[in-house]
Amino acid sequence: MADWNAYYPKEDDEVEQEEGEESVGDYKSSGRDSLVFLVDASKEMFIKGEDGEPSNFDMTMQCVRSVYTSKIISSDKDLIALVFYGTEQSKNPRNTFKHVYVYHDLDSPGAQRVQNIDSLRGEEGAQLAAETMGSGQTSLGDALWCCYNLYSDIKLRLSHKRLMIFTCRDDPHGGDSTRDIRARTKAADLKGTGVVIDLMHLKKPGGFDVSCFFCDIVSPPEDERELGLQLEPCGKLEDLKNRVRAKEMKKRVQSRLTFSLGDGMNIAVGVYLLVKTATKPQAVRLYAETNEPVRTKTRLFHTQNGSLLLPSDTKRAQVYGKKQIVMEKGEVDEIKKFDDPGLVLIGFKPMDCLKLHHHIRPSLFIYPEEEQVTGSSCVFTALLQKCSERNVFALCKYTSKLNTPPRFVALIPQREVLDSSQVQAAPAGFHAIYLPYADDKRTLDVHDCPTASDEQVDKMKQIVHKLRFRYRSDAFENPVLQQHYRNLEALALDMCAPEAIEDFTMPKVKMMDDRLGPLVQEFKDLVYPPNYNPESKTAAKRKQADAEGAVDKKPKVEISEDELRAHVAKGTLSKLTVPVLKDACKHFGVRTTGTKKAELIEALLAQLN
Amino acid sequence: FFWGGALVLCMDVGFSMSNSGPGQELAFEQAKRVIQKFIQRQVFAESKDELGLVLFGTDHTKNPLAEDGQYQNISIYRHLMMPDFELLEEIEHQLQPGSQHADWLDALVVCMDLLQKETVGKKYERLNIALLTDLNTLACADQLDVIIGNLKKAGITLQFFLPFPVDADAEGDGGGDGAGPQNPPPGGKGLSREQKQGLEMVKQVMTSLDDEDGLDEVHTFSEAVKKLSIFKPIERRPMAWPCQLTIGSSLSIRIIGYKAVCEEKFKKSWAVVEAESHQKDDVKRETVFCLNDDNETEVEKEKTIQGFQYGSDIVPFSKVDQEQMKYKSDGKSFAVLGFTKQETIHRHHFMGNQVLKVFAPKDDEHAGVALSSLIHALDRLKMVAIVRYVYDRRSNPQVGAAFPCIKQKYECLLYVQLPYMEDLRQFTFPSLENNKKFSPSEAQLSAVDALISSMMLVKEGEDGEKEDIFKVNSIPNPQFQRLFQCLHHRCVNPGTPLPPVEPWLKRMLDCPQAVSACCYDFLKEMKRCFPVKEVLQKKEQKTRKKSDLYNTCVLLLQVGSVNPAKDFHTLIQQKTISFEQACEQLTHRIEQLLGNRRTEYYMKTITCVQAFREQATGIFRNSGVFLPKVCTNMNADALTLISKDEVESSSVSKQEANQVLKVPSPFSWFLMANQLVSPVKLKHW
Repeated sequence: MADWNAYYPKEDDEVEQEEGEESVGDYKSSGRDSLVFLVDASKEMFIKGEDGEPSNFDMTMQCVRSVYTSKIISSDKDLIALVFYGTEQSKNPRNTFKHVYVYHDLDSPGAQRVQNIDSLRGEEGAQLAAETMGSGQTSLGDALWCCYNLYSDIKLRLSHKRLMIFTCRDDPHGGDSTRDIRARTKAADLKGTGVVIDLMHLKKPGGFDVSCFFCDIVSPPEDERELGLQLEPCGKLEDLKNRVRAKEMKKRVQSRLTFSLGDGMNIAVGVYLLVKTATKPQAVRLYAETNEPVRTKTRLFHTQNGSLLLPSDTKRAQVYGKKQIVMEKGEVDEIKKFDDPGLVLIGFKPMDCLKLHHHIRPSLFIYPEEEQVTGSSCVFTALLQKCSERNVFALCKYTSKLNTPPRFVALIPQREVLDSSQVQAAPAGFHAIYLPYADDKRTLDVHDCPTASDEQVDKMKQIVHKLRFRYRSDAFENPVLQQHYRNLEALALDMCAPEAIEDFTMPKVKMMDDRLGPLVQEFKDLVYPPNYNPESKTAAKRKQADAEGAVDKKPKVEISEDELRAHVAKGTLSKLTVPVLKDACKHFGVRTTGTKKAELIEALLAQLN
Repeated sequence: FFWGGALVLCMDVGFSMSNSGPGQELAFEQAKRVIQKFIQRQVFAESKDELGLVLFGTDHTKNPLAEDGQYQNISIYRHLMMPDFELLEEIEHQLQPGSQHADWLDALVVCMDLLQKETVGKKYERLNIALLTDLNTLACADQLDVIIGNLKKAGITLQFFLPFPVDADAEGDGGGDGAGPQNPPPGGKGLSREQKQGLEMVKQVMTSLDDEDGLDEVHTFSEAVKKLSIFKPIERRPMAWPCQLTIGSSLSIRIIGYKAVCEEKFKKSWAVVEAESHQKDDVKRETVFCLNDDNETEVEKEKTIQGFQYGSDIVPFSKVDQEQMKYKSDGKSFAVLGFTKQETIHRHHFMGNQVLKVFAPKDDEHAGVALSSLIHALDRLKMVAIVRYVYDRRSNPQVGAAFPCIKQKYECLLYVQLPYMEDLRQFTFPSLENNKKFSPSEAQLSAVDALISSMMLVKEGEDGEKEDIFKVNSIPNPQFQRLFQCLHHRCVNPGTPLPPVEPWLKRMLDCPQAVSACCYDFLKEMKRCFPVKEVLQKKEQKTRKKSDLYNTCVLLLQVGSVNPAKDFHTLIQQKTISFEQACEQLTHRIEQLLGNRRTEYYMKTITCVQAFREQATGIFRNSGVFLPKVCTNMNADALTLISKDEVESSSVSKQEANQVLKVPSPFSWFLMANQLVSPVKLKHW
């Protein structure tokens, strides 16, 4: 029985999985990501900044909270832990370590945990922290050892292990070399098991000197240029969040492919998704009595004799021109096969050949895979540099996976961009833009439209000018998703009502009106005649249309049996409208569950033939 | 409401149509192919056009006008109805050349009569007659004016399909697209007297119906086949989306949006049918819920509720509650949130899967002027409008950018969705250009530079006009083309394996010859400059293999027809079915393949046999099982029976094995392979 899922990995094999869509369920093969926040809880961390700026501790908690909530939305299987060091109280699995307080051990974040962190924020949070944990002696070595145990207690396969130290003390042991050495040894042990240690150093009066202790603790940078240690300490929450976010997200490769330049010249590239539409997660079915999740199993039966049907007992069929065409499942898949997965270079085109309307799906990101083909990065870099210099894009044929028909993509060069604090804002690589086929373009009836005069255009320019703003791609939260998660949060935490969301997609009408002032009226005077009302016109029209519709609908569109039989004979049933067909179904006592045209026709045919 | 169109195909099957010089394809066959391709296309496009077929030059007569020796040898083969596969099959198997000839003008009159009688009382969008003939029968021109008059009156349009181009009677060999040496008129260089006269009449008819473009509707057979080979996609009418563009609370402009670009998906889905009966109703799908315990205890659907994962928590959340608590938008909207510089919108941040074009309504010039002001203002300032777009009450709001778009013929706003914060992933990648290990040398850079120059797909002509030699947006989606090809094949040739991808389609998807020829040397140089080496990672390969296996596990349970050799290999590896079964299936496929006497099928057969041989030697060597004499196979290059040298239990000596090489055709190989004929016998073939 258990094998059934192997045969029916997805319930409906008719619904093709979106190409390029990420299969989220591949944690099994790649393991889960894990992240440990190791936070200094010494007195220094709680000192408030000037002008009422939040303390380093407060800032850290806000940052940790935002990681928790974003993980819940983006990758809820990842494991996070929160550990404090330099505390008075101790709390860890075997209570072997003094002054180490495991607040959350490694687990996927949930509503309760978010609430716990909330309670540590602000003035009251500091108070609570002082009561529960207090500040005491510091032994980073013990803290790291404790974290080591957290990792080794996890039975799941971990793909990416990261530990972030938040502190504002560059010399935590006050010169005690034994404890310094112990910390270094334990850090080395951790690194030896594949844990990457990062330092999120915070503002300290007199400056944070990384070189006096922490340079030996943290992991060496991933590439030559990345010199995390020379970064200035974070003073602002935004900076800290950015720095944490840049580190915390493990890039997950979508697929590794061969990029063929032609004539056997092949390099290896990885395909990534830097943008992907975030959607509400799938609902799960729960057993009402215990609230435990249930699994679904789908089986096929023979209607006549009730026997189980194996996949080999079925075939696939479509009907065209009154004829059923049958194929085997394997054939249906093979039909979709043209090439093996990969990118094939066709040629180059000037950038202005890529038009705005060449868009059918979100883009992909392409980056070389040196581990598979050595030398790939060099070829890739040269190509990137030259495409960018010459302002051209590479046109490629892209086959994403087995049994997938090809699509063409434009590879547009992206040079690396760093922001003001030297954090990578855009990585170097190619963006792959999907190009439409002839079938994807629709022909529209365009009609002549009057063109505006210069005076009218100028007035609009003033309006545009007044409403300028700096667009940032991360400025808009998805209100639908946010609302959904707030609702879940409220239910999970038994809150009486979900926290209200701010809908950033709504126009700030009041502010806009204030800014525009009399400009709107002036523009309207220029383009609209005095009695013109753009809103009422459509409304009036609709009403009229409704009225007409009502008249139209009343006389029942009936069709005689003879006519209907004529249609059946000539195969012209599909010319009839849905209401007529429904009516016919009723008339002949044909019971259908479907409301689609094809279903109605099928039912009628079954009856009349 | 309208009834689509009505069309009568009128084909000459007369004596001259099946008479041609040596080495030339019969005009009859060409015309038949035009008709087949056309009907195929109508069937797959599920067109609502009705279609009739009239033949002339037939041995018998079957039409209502035939009286007193008039309108003879003209038969109505099919009355107006929706085209279907039955018709295609009839044409394939029953449509035969006749031995008579008939006046093509008479045939035209029969068609007109058919159209008029069978469309009475219904409204059609268009009425059309397509005439396929070689004009080799003298037509009586007496009634020409009357006929033209009637055509005009009834609003019937006309198309001619001829074996030669319309200007073929001009001196020289006529030129014309596709008409070249392949289609010289029968009987030598020039056209026959009848054909010349016929052509004059065709011109007269066509120019009097439309004096400017009339002759554009006269085609050659070969050009028509070429055009019809591309299956026409299902046409969709753009749906208008009326709304108002709003800026603040008091400025609104009436607009109409249309989907301009959107990934076209295949409309029909595959139904699951029972393998023997081919009946959909014989298959019942049942979904059950079960607990995650060892017994997989089943629970009733009524006893389950809906829930969601919230991190580590599972929150019960009923549909009703969800509906009540969810975000609600207040209906359709196209509201400007503000304006920003075009350069702040990144191309790779385009989201969603469509592009909308936004126009002003046709009948509202004030809206037109207002929208035009906005479009031009944005264009001059190089800015875009950031817009909140909601399709309707039930759909989720989007934030997107409306770009100004000014074309010669029209102007509009182009709307594209932009990402939400949740959609972005801030991945950090190691720097490439600042990494000494990867930075290319000058020589390497110039090699790439030369490669780019040699592979430019947009060439500037002498007149400064740019020519794009690889326009993706004029390539038909190969998925649809291939699917229709296979559906058609399966329908017309049931029981035979699926054909390979059509060569023209393959060509269309590859690097154009002009470019691949030109970049050859530069690629060589690239290879010399850049040392690249594949790293074999054991672990990687293992996992890959596993996933491959998984893929095929799900899909593969028998030797398919598309790639039988590969299927066979996989089946043996997987051991899902026994070796004997796999062999049996492969043999069955080989038999099928050999049923088609075409080279590509023979080639496929050979790969099958090769596969068989490979597996067979491996298996018998490993297991020492008695080798049935059957396993005697060969391939195109070195095809020998499996000899004793390779497998001990073989009864065939090396000498014997080599002898078999002299056997002539793949078919005999096959017979022998199955021990249907002994090698000795084969020698006598």
